[in-house]
Amino acid sequence: MMRAIRTILLLAGKDLRIEARSRQTLALVIVLGLLIVVVLGLGLAAGQKTSPTAATAILWVAYLFGGVLCFEKTMGVERQDAALGALLLAPVDRGLIYVAKLVTNLVLMLGLAAVVTPAAVVLFDFDLSANPAGFFTVTLMGMVGFAAIGTLFSAVVSSTRLQGGLLAMVVFPLCLPLVVSSTQIMIRLFGEARPLTAHDVGLLGAFDAVYLVSSWLTFEKILEP
Amino acid sequence: MVSEPALQDCPSQTCGAPAVRAASLGVVLDERPVLRELNLEIAPGELVALLGANGAGKSTLLRALSMLIAHEGRLELFGQEVTKDQPDLRRRIGLIAHQSMLYRDLSPRENLVFFGRLYGVDNPAGRADRLLGEIGLADRGDDPVRTLSRGMTQRVSIARALMHEPDLLLADEPFEGLDAPSTHSLQEWLARLAGAGRTVLFSTHDVGQGLALGRRMLVLRRGSLVVDQPTSALDGERILQELTTP
Amino acid sequence: MLDWICGKTYWTVALAALAGAVAMLMAYTPVEATMGPIQKVFYVHLPSAINAFFACLLVCVASVGYLAQRKTAWDDLATAGAKVAVVLCTVVLLSGMVWGRYAWGKWWTWSPRLTFSLLLWLLYAVYLIIRSSIESPRQRATVAAVYGIVAFLDVPLVWLSVRLMPDIHPTSVTLAPPMKLTLGVWFLPVTLIVIGSVGWLYRSGRRRTQRRRMLQSQGEAG
Repeated sequence: MMRAIRTILLLAGKDLRIEARSRQTLALVIVLGLLIVVVLGLGLAAGQKTSPTAATAILWVAYLFGGVLCFEKTMGVERQDAALGALLLAPVDRGLIYVAKLVTNLVLMLGLAAVVTPAAVVLFDFDLSANPAGFFTVTLMGMVGFAAIGTLFSAVVSSTRLQGGLLAMVVFPLCLPLVVSSTQIMIRLFGEARPLTAHDVGLLGAFDAVYLVSSWLTFEKILEP
Repeated sequence: MVSEPALQDCPSQTCGAPAVRAASLGVVLDERPVLRELNLEIAPGELVALLGANGAGKSTLLRALSMLIAHEGRLELFGQEVTKDQPDLRRRIGLIAHQSMLYRDLSPRENLVFFGRLYGVDNPAGRADRLLGEIGLADRGDDPVRTLSRGMTQRVSIARALMHEPDLLLADEPFEGLDAPSTHSLQEWLARLAGAGRTVLFSTHDVGQGLALGRRMLVLRRGSLVVDQPTSALDGERILQELTTP
Repeated sequence: MLDWICGKTYWTVALAALAGAVAMLMAYTPVEATMGPIQKVFYVHLPSAINAFFACLLVCVASVGYLAQRKTAWDDLATAGAKVAVVLCTVVLLSGMVWGRYAWGKWWTWSPRLTFSLLLWLLYAVYLIIRSSIESPRQRATVAAVYGIVAFLDVPLVWLSVRLMPDIHPTSVTLAPPMKLTLGVWFLPVTLIVIGSVGWLYRSGRRRTQRRRMLQSQGEAG
């Protein structure tokens, strides 16, 4: 167990170090996220009071598109010069390679959320104070499931040329249950001012579990140098 | 055509289980056989050259031996049958491939230390230092790999494959893109590794180099092994003829 | 077996069963009181929905088969299943919309059931789009296989998530015995046609794959 955690930290640490060196992904993703928030904000008639539901929906769109870009970039690092081949040669469990990539992607997405969320809160005058804990729980759980699927598919799709549109095309429909359920839960939290229930958390948790387990199981079948 | 494996080349003190033993080894990619019915035995400490025209299956054989791709038939490495995931076997294999398999945004030192830790090497930083010195890149050790020349990158990639001191080194055209001095030092290096009891199998398309460096030569033609003899028993004419036969 | 499914006898039986079921729907089945004749789309709706589920299951099983064995036959089978699944989802979606139009006066409401069939349709339509966007056969098959597995696991999740949506239209259907009989009879032609279509699509997919491989090996030899 300790060994596995050490390996995951080693692998994810390597990814984050590369990110720190090249500073490509996070900057790009954050700017894209802000752009989406601004464009959708203007599209929804700037100056008028946006409903809390619209604000959470806009944030979801920003996370989704930003996230897909993260997945592409972090797996692209492995494809360049076939570095993935060296990982596959090493005595490392492939499941751990998956988990480490997932951790990297989640860290980057949290970085994205840390900038884009406050920006949206300010721009849309979105009152988080009604239930901040509920907001963060639902967002985080949604992100875990989304990143689980995204990390899996980035490994297969990243070696094709059509990367950009294709990965989004693959990941978005599969994540629809997460989008639908977290939106519905957010409506209850902020539209109807109801608390987050154990049922809500259980449902999102179950979704995350299905995505994580199925991705973890298929990942080793699809990894090819 | 296929002669007996040249076991006499094996230094007697290291003869135990063969480093590689393949029986009816085959590889199928996309439902097409790329390697067929390969029978092969390589003893520890051998230095073997692998030749073949483009598409004959050289890279595929090296990838199958390094456990990167699935195989059919029976394959044993160091007396242990290759089944699925065997970390202890993986630790004994090193591969130099066409691509550098390095992270270009990291420095050579960071790459080496990272892979060293992945393999559980003791004191990876110290070993990386030593290897960087040996490949003559001690002063460039902290620049990102992407700023290095092709030859330098190739040398770092070789150092990566040797980081965990593999008992079996598989090298896919390692001389590709190296200048004369680097080629010379790599040749010396491979010979030294073999002399130290490690097994080296390298592919090349240069017949002369294969004959000069290898003690034994394998020639692949369309996925089958057509020559397997000590280099002392072979000459360039014969090999060229084998290579150009359709 | 495959040739038989694609053959004349099989299709004659299937189409005859369809004709019989249509005749029964017209002549025998009583008109439902509140919905009128529109209720009769239901007899196509439910068998299609259940067959759609099995088509999705087929995609998933074939995808697992492909990942385990890497044989293109599995990939062709999954494709055939997905094509049929999309057609069936279209039938389910459209018949559902027709129903909604007459029951509630609107072609579209974001009711859980309608949303569910839309999302399902989307899920498998994207499967086909993804296939057509990847050139390398091996890559295409791998991506599609992983997608096919996750998409099937997604089906119950989609259902659970749409149930969170407010549902203003309770749609419990009570059927008189002759209606039940009609429903039962309708399963036969729909299922036969579905099996026949999967078989036919699979066979033509196989032929395409084999042809491509032949051309490829000719190209290498030449």
